[in-house]
Amino acid sequence: MHPAGRRLPSRRQFAGALGAVAGTAAVAGCSSGPAKDMNTLQVWGGIPAENGPQQVIDRFQEEHPDITVEYTRYINDDRGNVKLNTALQGGVDIDVFFTYGVPNLTMRVSSGLAADVGDLVRSTPELEMFLDTDDPKALIDGDEITALATTRIPQMVLFNDELRERAGIDLPQQWTFEEYLEAIRALAADGKYGTYVLPDLARIELGPNYRFTADGDSNFSHPAFLRHFDLAAELIREGVLYPWSQALARQLEAYQQNNFIAEDFGLWTTAPYSLRFLTDQEEYPHDFTVSAAPVPTLDGADWNTGEYGAFVQINSKSPKQEIAWEFSKFWLLHGGQDLIRAGYISLLGDIDDDQLLEGILGEDAEQFFDVDSFRRTLFEDQPRMHLDTELTAYTEITQKYEQQRDVCWLLERSPTKAIETVDKNAQALIDRFEED
Amino acid sequence: MTTAEARADGAAAPPGAREPTARRRRTPGRAPSDPKPIVGWLFIAPNLLGVLAFTFIPLVSVILLSFTEWNLVSGFGGIEFVALDNFIAVFQDPTFWRSLVITILYAGVAVPLTLVVGLALALALNRDIPARGLLRAAFFVPYIVNIVAIGMTWQMLLDPSAGLMNQFLGIFGLEHLPQWFASSHWALPALILVTIWAQAGYANLIYLSALQDAPTQLYEAARIDGAGRWASFRAITWPSLLPTTVFLLVTLFVGISQTFGMIALITNGGPGDSTTTLSFYMYQTSFQFYRFGYASAVGLVTFIGIFALMLLMWRAQRGKALHD
Repeated sequence: MHPAGRRLPSRRQFAGALGAVAGTAAVAGCSSGPAKDMNTLQVWGGIPAENGPQQVIDRFQEEHPDITVEYTRYINDDRGNVKLNTALQGGVDIDVFFTYGVPNLTMRVSSGLAADVGDLVRSTPELEMFLDTDDPKALIDGDEITALATTRIPQMVLFNDELRERAGIDLPQQWTFEEYLEAIRALAADGKYGTYVLPDLARIELGPNYRFTADGDSNFSHPAFLRHFDLAAELIREGVLYPWSQALARQLEAYQQNNFIAEDFGLWTTAPYSLRFLTDQEEYPHDFTVSAAPVPTLDGADWNTGEYGAFVQINSKSPKQEIAWEFSKFWLLHGGQDLIRAGYISLLGDIDDDQLLEGILGEDAEQFFDVDSFRRTLFEDQPRMHLDTELTAYTEITQKYEQQRDVCWLLERSPTKAIETVDKNAQALIDRFEED
Repeated sequence: MTTAEARADGAAAPPGAREPTARRRRTPGRAPSDPKPIVGWLFIAPNLLGVLAFTFIPLVSVILLSFTEWNLVSGFGGIEFVALDNFIAVFQDPTFWRSLVITILYAGVAVPLTLVVGLALALALNRDIPARGLLRAAFFVPYIVNIVAIGMTWQMLLDPSAGLMNQFLGIFGLEHLPQWFASSHWALPALILVTIWAQAGYANLIYLSALQDAPTQLYEAARIDGAGRWASFRAITWPSLLPTTVFLLVTLFVGISQTFGMIALITNGGPGDSTTTLSFYMYQTSFQFYRFGYASAVGLVTFIGIFALMLLMWRAQRGKALHD
């Protein structure tokens, strides 16, 4: 009994009251939706339909003429993800959805929005790779599998060949971080910078779950993180890296391609999805050729900074589980040739490297690219990618990291102080979330 | 006990009972020939529904949610009652206190400066000057300009290397030019500058209308007594504008302390956390971190704080206006 004689509401009463208020709000705007068409599959994804999904759907419908697939594109940003989450929660007719980024993935899975497809994966020999727990490409919890990565997103280093040759740099096929540093220093001349930003040194060295120690504590006290902040700040000061003040003031994070095409820097670490800008001569005209090199190794460590992504999930509330799985399987096994034009390299599928290269680099590949260098870097080298599975306070820690990175690279805070702050904040967040 | 008293006490009338006609209550001021009350309700129904759906229900939901842990994705079934835990966490959260300080700095500097600029403009535009109507309209335009246009324009103007502002300052041979939105030291002052530019037109308009109501006979008496411009302003204009100033102070403080769009567009709360105000922190906590219960608690604490501050302001000015 409460000291004042009044009892606190029970959890059930409280949720009931809240539900009543929310329900009242919902009544005005919502009516019971139309009966679900059992032969129409609703798919939500982040890639514009015309960049591949519609072609996959067309081919699926050819094979399954009794099934209609309707694709809804959502923007993969804060608002877009809230839209998908509320739609899933509110009972909107969604059967299959794609999730980008591990934090969204775990939240949807822990809230029971994704169906367990473990048995279906185990009974499909072509999908055996998703059972690998040492190099995970799926969200696995015991026997449960609730998300399957559809793509690998390897990072690579792109060279503007004209600037590379002018700086006397041979195209590397394997290289160390010291050689990388020599290259960007050589490129930083005549009012140009070496590159936009360094590849994530801590990731190259530590691989998956690099923010956490084996005990689950903050790992930001590892020297690799300080080395990354410190070296980047030094190179910004030297004029080798693009000034972070301009990157922030002009919000360039999402528009780095413009500066590469404008030849502001001659080397750019990016992923295949950026190649669509370089194949678009109308919107992004340029007259130099581009070659690719792998991400450099660091003291023998060779984790590529890229990851597995674009996870396909089936809505646990969908009454069409069977056809939803058929579609997901088709996407995984046969979607590669259509999705490559969006820069998505399928994890599986009946498509060879030449077809993939043509898809990524376009029809006039030889004119604008050193095609062999891309074949070598993206396919023959088999870059080691990661999937983070330790996700405590993932988004919050990312935010704290980026805040300190910004003030450090604006040269307003020392790298040591910045990393100490990240470490302290990350540990505080981990402690708080574990308490919860 | 009369029937009316019995009703007021909640006692039910016997079935079929009817009050004597002479004792029926009548709403004061309503003539016997007035249409039935239902017509009145119908007239206000759209507004009432709007207030209910978009103000009352969200407000009550926020209050209730602040006592819960909820990530939205788990649905209503995932709501967990946590009593006062969120409020305890809010007061122990260094980011909340940091955001509070930033909000107070932001609104505390932007609001008084907006009032000063608005008043100066109003005093100038209340005189008989050429193109007065055009100038009055021109100074009001920033207030009605779309927030996206404001953000993009000021980003270009305050670009550290190519912006007009720094090119202008460079004429004077300044070496260390402000980095504006690309500096954790300058981002908040830059945001304050943009806010004043956007809001001064509103303050100007309200002050102008108040100035046109100023008691002219007092100015005439002051002039006869030999009072100068400054003395007239201090003794007549300012006291007569005090209620307007308090009104502007309250509305601008409430509005500016809740600024979100401009921050989201221009700085995204940074660099570092230098422009993370409470409203932006609430957005991050809810729509980026999916902690809706905690964000509601932050919102409720902020609301109570602002409300208390407004009451203090209101009380402080009572009895000091010229008309009082």
